Amino acid sequence: MILTRHPLRELAAYIDERLPENRARRTERHVAGCTRCGNDCEAIRLGMAELENLPLVEAPDAIWTAIERQLQEKPAPKQQWRWTLAAALVAAAIIGVAYWGAARRLGVRWEVTRLAGSPVVGTTVIGATGRIGAGEWIVTDAGSRAAVKIGEIGSVDVEPDTRVRVLVTQPTEHRLALARGEIRAKISAPPRLFFVDTTAGTAVDLGCEYSLQVDADGVGRLEVTKGWVLFQWKGLESLVPAGASCRTRPSAGPGIPYFNDAAENIKQALERYAFEKGGVEDLNIVLASARVRDTLTLWHLLSRVPVEERGRVYDRMAALTPVPEGVSREKALQLDAETLKRWREELAWTW
Amino acid sequence: MVLKGASLMWRLGISACAAAAMLLAEGFTFNIASPVAAQDYHAKMAAFVFRTQGCADAAKAVISGTAEGLVKGERRSVAVKIMPMGKPGVYAVYQGWPAEGDWLVNLRGTCGDASAGAIVPVGPKGFIRESSRFFARPATDAEIEAALKAHATGGGK
Amino acid sequence: MVPLSDREISADIIQDCRSGDRDAFRALYDIYKDRVYSMALYFSRGDAAAASDITQQVFLKLMTGIGQFRGDAEFSTWLYRLVANACMDAARRQKAAPKYSQDMEMVAGEGSQEEDYARRQIASSVRAAVSALPPKFRVAVLLRYFDDLSYEQMAKALQCSMGTVASRLSRGHRMLGERLKGLARRP
Repeated sequence: MILTRHPLRELAAYIDERLPENRARRTERHVAGCTRCGNDCEAIRLGMAELENLPLVEAPDAIWTAIERQLQEKPAPKQQWRWTLAAALVAAAIIGVAYWGAARRLGVRWEVTRLAGSPVVGTTVIGATGRIGAGEWIVTDAGSRAAVKIGEIGSVDVEPDTRVRVLVTQPTEHRLALARGEIRAKISAPPRLFFVDTTAGTAVDLGCEYSLQVDADGVGRLEVTKGWVLFQWKGLESLVPAGASCRTRPSAGPGIPYFNDAAENIKQALERYAFEKGGVEDLNIVLASARVRDTLTLWHLLSRVPVEERGRVYDRMAALTPVPEGVSREKALQLDAETLKRWREELAWTW
Repeated sequence: MVLKGASLMWRLGISACAAAAMLLAEGFTFNIASPVAAQDYHAKMAAFVFRTQGCADAAKAVISGTAEGLVKGERRSVAVKIMPMGKPGVYAVYQGWPAEGDWLVNLRGTCGDASAGAIVPVGPKGFIRESSRFFARPATDAEIEAALKAHATGGGK
Repeated sequence: MVPLSDREISADIIQDCRSGDRDAFRALYDIYKDRVYSMALYFSRGDAAAASDITQQVFLKLMTGIGQFRGDAEFSTWLYRLVANACMDAARRQKAAPKYSQDMEMVAGEGSQEEDYARRQIASSVRAAVSALPPKFRVAVLLRYFDDLSYEQMAKALQCSMGTVASRLSRGHRMLGERLKGLARRP
């Protein structure tokens, strides 16, 4: 019997070999022929495998000391144990409620360390360290710098002459807003847990180190030193890898990424093309000057140029580096998502 | 004279066939890239990543490597940590060499009877693709020394 | 994780605990303390204080209630029911106040400095991903990982059906896998 519905809720049991044999066989047959369930199985297996990276943590000695103290204060009889435990639980509940109330008012506050000068958090000049919570600003003048610990996932250095606001301090979302100045982020976490909003769009961390600058007019530059960053604005996206940068402008979003060692004429042409209504001449400059490594730029251009120009971009990319199997010209020019993804993954080996 | 000429023609012919065969055969080789190419966040802290190509069963390739360096004129060699990534045949190389000095990574691999090698100079900004060299065999000591010397004198930067 | 077998927990230890033997209780505590603490710590998003509270509560309840343990179910099932309940109670109390702990002492950890660094980086990412799971999925995933209970045992510990256990494990691991897949899905 073939399963006609997706056994999504049984896939972990299937992988764990906990299903009865006949059910396991049916699930196996279904998974073999179902992309969705196959993908889910892959994700579940990955989740199970990654847990192997969680170390066993030694319980602090203080726990036993506390237990022993409780045992000693009210020795043996069960009734007394129950009263003791009841009292302890009530106390814990009271403390828990009080803490919950206080924490709810205050929210999670991140640690801020003064690196130089007199950084200000809210309206307070911090000493050696301070705390910053959601809704608060950190402001540095020309002589000040600070380091903000972003939850458990990394840190952000706030450079001089910078105004940045903490927006969200949740375990599933750590979000800042950079009004002006420069920050340098070092994040070590799975992708999409750390975000920085600007007037030109949002930098989405994909596991990386980067600097983000914004001037008084909101014009910015993202430079990545490790990993990747995705810069998004209203459906427009630029994927910026290590060694590359991307300019940003309010009401225009991210420009086209380029490697920092690209020719100056390419960078200037890209600036005009993305933000100053540059046209064919600028495109010609980029295509003519592009190296193999500049296929990063060309890959992004493919979806930014007018339809009639896509063929030229494709042809230039194909001339610089072999087009991988599974990437057809037709589908690339149609901007087929899977095709572009496949091509980008292969191009990354030349960047 | 005729025989000699014929023998020469034979040798030329055989050499041409061998060269053609080499060109046509897909050799076992390495391909290096920055860590993002691995599509694996475990590679984020790696110095660079590489993949094997031309190996029928990538999971069975045997890979090793060392970092060779010159630190204040003193020649040094240290082990490097090479970790397989999620995709078969893709590996991450983590920095095990000190920041001081000039270093390159010497990679070696075997896939069945085939061998491959690579010399990858590394600098403060990562690996230097332009001066990396690839071989259908392990790099020789002389090649490593020459590459290290070039790297130290700025030829590889 | 290497699972413990209830065979390792001898009936003598249980009986001695029932009699109020502190040494027996200490032995039981030593066997389970790290697993219980680790589960509580990862469940509590790295909050060492909350994890210590949970661990303390569990073992106090265990000592108090051991007379009720009739031996008709496996000991670990009963213990992990206490752990799961304590974790879920803590989650309800501290919903708005997740905290983070900087340092975690690890039981194992031999290796070079760079291996330790790489391992810590990866563990940090996995911890963050586990923290992001809804509490019911989080506790099921951690229960399976830390003591490899059978689905039947987990169902008893979590006081739900085996189907629900399977569903929570599927969804929880899938969420983990997708979050930790990195760039694999990006165009």
